[in-house]
Amino acid sequence: MKVKIKKWHAIAQWRWDTGHNDPDDDGEGDVCGICRVPFEGCCPTCKMPGEDCPLIWGECTHVFHMHCLLQWIGTASSKQQCPMDRRPWVTAERKVDANNPR
Amino acid sequence: MSLPKRIIKETERLVADPAPGITATPHDDNLRYFDVTIQGPDGSPFQNGVFRLELFLPEEYPMAPPKVRFLTKIYHPNIDKLGRICLDILKDKWSPALQIRTVLLSIQALLSAPNPDDPLATDVAKHYKENEKDAQRVSREWTEKYASA
Repeated sequence: MKVKIKKWHAIAQWRWDTGHNDPDDDGEGDVCGICRVPFEGCCPTCKMPGEDCPLIWGECTHVFHMHCLLQWIGTASSKQQCPMDRRPWVTAERKVDANNPR
Repeated sequence: MSLPKRIIKETERLVADPAPGITATPHDDNLRYFDVTIQGPDGSPFQNGVFRLELFLPEEYPMAPPKVRFLTKIYHPNIDKLGRICLDILKDKWSPALQIRTVLLSIQALLSAPNPDDPLATDVAKHYKENEKDAQRVSREWTEKYASA
């Protein structure tokens, strides 16, 4: 039998690799702890998700939309602390879970 | 300004899945302004009371904390005559990871655990420190008088 492909549609899906891809998560999915929008969405000031609205990782392992975190760190009341654990915010290199090498 | 998605999501959850003993209803004409009720926790002098509060989300929310105030009179060392609340997360310990729900749960917890060492109503705090039993009696009286449902 000979199969001739006349036409095909490619479909792709993307998501940020947050290093927190827990298969048993609560189903709410990964949301930014500041704006509560999924990481795959964008911060409230952006219109389009993607590289223009990236994520930011802290040494403390917490992840946010970069714009949300920078807005918080820019306020005096933040005292430059992580919103989740109040430790001094230190931006990390992008973290990848060592248990899930790609 | 339109209402941020986060406020819409929080409101939906507060209405659909309220925290035990807490209600929060936004005003139709100002979705940043909420009528709140908190039931006095069992085992506290505020037991059986239903306390009314107002909660307002400022333009900067969630970068700035909500403004919350008791409307019902309450005899508590950390709540003054004007209903203002002395609670760290409403001031210098605010974090945008907190929500309306967590704020209201913290206020409910404050009713169970008054902190006379960080007073706002100094006379009430003094009373609580010098004679806790008698102060709790007054708290119960006020609850019955002003906060009965």
